[in-house]
Amino acid sequence: MKKKLFAVVMASMMAVSALAACTDKNGTDTTAGTAAAPDTTNAEGEAVYSQEAILDMKMFAAMAGTEINSGNKIQELIAEKTGVRLKETWLTGQQAGEAIGAIIASGELPDLIDGGDGSVTLWENDLLVAWDPYLDMYPNLKEMYTDEEWDKFRMEDGHIYWANVFGNHYKGIDTSTGHNGEAFWIQVRVLEDAGYPQVQTLDEYFELLDNYVEKYKTMPDGETPLIAYTALTDGWKYFCLENPPMFLDGYPNDGCCIVNVDDPANPVVVDYNTTDTAKKYFQKLNEEWKKGSINPDFATQSYDDYISMLSTGRVLGLCDQYWDFAYSLMGPFAQNLDSLDGGRLDELGCDYVPLGLTIEAGMENQWHSYGDELNQSSGVAVTTSCPDPNLAFKFLSDVLEQDVHDLRFWGIEGEDYLVGDDGLYYRTEEMRQLWKDDDYKANHICSYSYCPQWLGISRDGKNAMMPSEQTSEFYAGLAEPLAKCFQAYGAATYADMIGSPDCGQYPWYPLWSWSNNLSNDTDGGIAWQKMGEVKHEWLPKIVMSNNFESDWNSYLAAYAECKPEDFLAEAQAEVDARLATARENGYEG
Amino acid sequence: MSLSSTSSRRKKKASNGVEFTAKEFKRQWILVVIAVLYVIYGVIFNYLPLAGWIMAFQNYKYKTGIFGSKFVGLDKFKFLFSDDKFLQVIRNTFCMGALILIFSTVMAIAFAILLNEIKNIMGKKLVQTISYLPHFLSWIVVCGIVSDTLSSTGIINELLTKFGILDKPFLFLGSKPAFWPIVVITNLWKETGWNAIIYLAAITSIDPALYESASIDGAGRFQKMWYVTLPSIRPTIMILLLMNIGNVLNAGFELQYILGNGLVQSVSRTIDIYVLDWAINGRNMDFSLGTAAGIFKTAVSLVLIVGGNMIAKKTGDERLF
Amino acid sequence: MAISTGKPIKRKMAPEDLIFTIFNTLFMVLFAVVTLYPVLNTLAYSFNDGSDAVRGGIHLLPRVFSLKSYKTVLHKEGILTGAKITVLRTIIGTLASLAANALLSFILSRKKFLFKSGLSLFWIITMYANGGLIPTMVLFRSLHLTGTFWVYVIPGLVSAFNVMVMRTYMAGIPDSLEESAQLEGAGYMTVFLRIISPLCKPVYATIALFVAVYHWNSWFDAMLYNRMNTQYTTLQYELMKLLDSVANQGQGGGGAASHTRESVATVVPITVRSAATIVTIAPIICLYPFLQRYFVTGLTIGGVKE
Repeated sequence: MKKKLFAVVMASMMAVSALAACTDKNGTDTTAGTAAAPDTTNAEGEAVYSQEAILDMKMFAAMAGTEINSGNKIQELIAEKTGVRLKETWLTGQQAGEAIGAIIASGELPDLIDGGDGSVTLWENDLLVAWDPYLDMYPNLKEMYTDEEWDKFRMEDGHIYWANVFGNHYKGIDTSTGHNGEAFWIQVRVLEDAGYPQVQTLDEYFELLDNYVEKYKTMPDGETPLIAYTALTDGWKYFCLENPPMFLDGYPNDGCCIVNVDDPANPVVVDYNTTDTAKKYFQKLNEEWKKGSINPDFATQSYDDYISMLSTGRVLGLCDQYWDFAYSLMGPFAQNLDSLDGGRLDELGCDYVPLGLTIEAGMENQWHSYGDELNQSSGVAVTTSCPDPNLAFKFLSDVLEQDVHDLRFWGIEGEDYLVGDDGLYYRTEEMRQLWKDDDYKANHICSYSYCPQWLGISRDGKNAMMPSEQTSEFYAGLAEPLAKCFQAYGAATYADMIGSPDCGQYPWYPLWSWSNNLSNDTDGGIAWQKMGEVKHEWLPKIVMSNNFESDWNSYLAAYAECKPEDFLAEAQAEVDARLATARENGYEG
Repeated sequence: MSLSSTSSRRKKKASNGVEFTAKEFKRQWILVVIAVLYVIYGVIFNYLPLAGWIMAFQNYKYKTGIFGSKFVGLDKFKFLFSDDKFLQVIRNTFCMGALILIFSTVMAIAFAILLNEIKNIMGKKLVQTISYLPHFLSWIVVCGIVSDTLSSTGIINELLTKFGILDKPFLFLGSKPAFWPIVVITNLWKETGWNAIIYLAAITSIDPALYESASIDGAGRFQKMWYVTLPSIRPTIMILLLMNIGNVLNAGFELQYILGNGLVQSVSRTIDIYVLDWAINGRNMDFSLGTAAGIFKTAVSLVLIVGGNMIAKKTGDERLF
Repeated sequence: MAISTGKPIKRKMAPEDLIFTIFNTLFMVLFAVVTLYPVLNTLAYSFNDGSDAVRGGIHLLPRVFSLKSYKTVLHKEGILTGAKITVLRTIIGTLASLAANALLSFILSRKKFLFKSGLSLFWIITMYANGGLIPTMVLFRSLHLTGTFWVYVIPGLVSAFNVMVMRTYMAGIPDSLEESAQLEGAGYMTVFLRIISPLCKPVYATIALFVAVYHWNSWFDAMLYNRMNTQYTTLQYELMKLLDSVANQGQGGGGAASHTRESVATVVPITVRSAATIVTIAPIICLYPFLQRYFVTGLTIGGVKE
């Protein structure tokens, strides 16, 4: 018995040391620091790297993400073109700040990093390489932003350490077809049934929903009851319930407050939580609650519960940001269901379209914001642990080359997309399905999604940088009822459905890039935290109230105790500071 | 030799009092040497990191580290104890911890003893295997089932309305008085089988002769459970109770975090959740605040186990130290 | 069975006994059903199609059968390396921990040990006091444990909780056994290995189970100390990566994230999560019977109790 035990221990120990030994061997060439030279050039004179010359680099992004498998087809193609193979790892079970703290303490840094909320911490610890000298060497990188925009990335020492890679349209041409932001959403079958009316106010919106429920009561299976409206209150996603007053008053998504611009030279920060609009909005929800129109479990449901309820197609209306719910519904809505005699929910008209509601009819709304929202608080960075920063920057530049960019987002020509006679890229239905497949994603697709990238029209002037923005691809992906709805309202895109005018962005926009990073080192930060806690408790209570007036007043009293004025004062200071910076750079207003 | 041991056994109840003599020291030198090795190990791996407690008295920032951060004295503690919400979360943590401790201990012991009474070995093994399985499910999975069961269309509300006990569905997860019981019951459901394993092991060491002589004395099954099984595993029960009393303030993060919501936050939030909300959000990595809360928890734990230990000493029960 | 030992007892106890047996059996069956349900539910989800499962309402049987979730889990890159490391750490870690805990428990259960109270307190404090993540990480880094396999084994060798459980068990073993051995000239180590340990099989099995399950389920240490060293990843860490990637899609910052990722996955977490859970539990279920016999059937060691 004892001998057996001893043998097991020895065997395991030997296995471990053997493991360690062989990985050490591999380890040496992965961290080799010399920039590899291309071995050959192809017919067009482009560099081609052989397997031996390809360097492995590591990247950590402080976001949730999916790892791809080694030997991924497109990753290998990109490696041959750029000489770098990037191994991406993602956030697991931690908040971004925690993860970055742990990485710093462990002393083991990747070559590239997107620190998310922990970006500043990385910089504070002198762990990042400044971009400045490399920006002049690599025009692809430089081209991402204007000088003025680059200045926004500069840290207190005057250098640039990271670049946000998202939401950036090539040459500033906005081709977006979607509406990624917030709106009151409604299923197209409700609009169709009512003959595609104009919907401008909350009253009209809820009337439509209630009438439809009244008329049909259940899903076509005759069993599942319809629900007029639901609201998400889980964790920080309670914005679905709390921030509509800001939009209903016609203001854009500054996220934490309204910035009143009646006098454009002196913008004034206003709290949207206590406005008359807020009261009217919650009163309306309270009325609907009493009528039984709102999901009875809305205040206790988790995000998962919320998504599974939406996935049944029972819920006619909701207020949320597109990315927060729509992607999760695509699969279930496109599935053949026994309960619908093999029909699909999207063909039934369960797809949602956004409505640009305002508190009074005829107001202008800014639910949709045009142009790129620059979030300078985080982005891709090169760490001081990277043995060859120049190569890292060259790689970041290379992935912006059109051919690599196409590989990342469109895939391989002939396999993942086809080129029409007009030079336009398109995909067959089969290809579209493949790109949704998990195995295919792991073994074939490599988008390096936290590396620099473009939206908008690609350098050939015809095709979109991203398939989702290719007009033909967009329409090909729409189910019939949805397409009919767009047609009925004369809308070409989701944004058209909302009808926000394009009135440009103010220099402080979006203010949430400030409030998201508030710390409790300041009174305003503490107030912000407390306001959130009070709203979390009171807003669902108000909606479910039996005595709205008195509960509303209790809420206002509890809210006032959090000292929101401290928060608003700091918000005002931030707006003023951002405005001053913009004016220094020649902003007129 | 045997003389000295009988005398020490006589002293046993007084305290663990063995006289500290050179002779005794020499006799058990090997124990002392091994003990020293364990102390060295413990100092390195368990006590050295406690240097991190300094952070609680600083405004700790990564950049400046422990040696360069600004000392703020007791500011972090003042912040915590001047916030009504913190006092509230202490209450929540303590009450939920105590309820879970009491009920889960009783349930686990009862389950172990009752399972032991099952005479069919196959059945016994089967039930035992099944009962500990939920321990391996994550809280997310378990909470999903709980919220399903308790939702307005869930099985509980369906039954209650069907039998006319309620006229409309009750929002269990949005009800403050219901929250603690839900947490306790969910805990029991998931962990009873697992917690019972220790007691089952303790029961195995009971001498069967004790049962036989009890039978001869005319004891029934209940009496045997009460007068033989329970006293025999009493040392194990006491030790686990003592250790778990120290853990009362650690009782709860994930379950409360997942099941909690705005409506019940005043009863659902625990110290760990409070720390997460205040110290770990956005750019605000306030390790000092988290450390201060940790020191508070440790202090409470030590007070509780020292107190518990003193009581155990008085009642002559198994002690921790 | 005690019941058969005497006729008068049997006659007196029979009805009560029967009622008890019935109720006890019913209770056990009910308990088993209630605790089995979540496991069966997880099993049903794991075999269901992902997109369909989002709609909820799956109980004991899958609605749309699919093996895709298992495929996703088992095809995950690094799952093999992870499994290998996890098995290694479970074996080595459990044996090493068991030895370390047993020896310490032995010392602490010696009634005559001079520093009994002090050493107990020294270890009990470690249960409640910890310096937090960052100081610990800095320590391991300076000990050169970071980035190695041993970081899984060495720091967690001694667990005060397990030691106290074992100590209590050992303390229940009569002193007379130790004394008679010592009379025959046996030293402390001989007493530990030859006298005490064989009698401690049930508690050793229990602690081995606790430690093995701890090692089997560990992922946080793999992430902290070997995040960039894929050769030392663990099974659970790989599974966590998978679960997190599907569970937290679109987790941007704060109230208004503008998250413009091209490929926001439409993957559905619950089925993959369930498959991962099943993959995790299955080996434990297989291993369990080997340990179970020590603490379910019981030992018949005469004269163990005083």
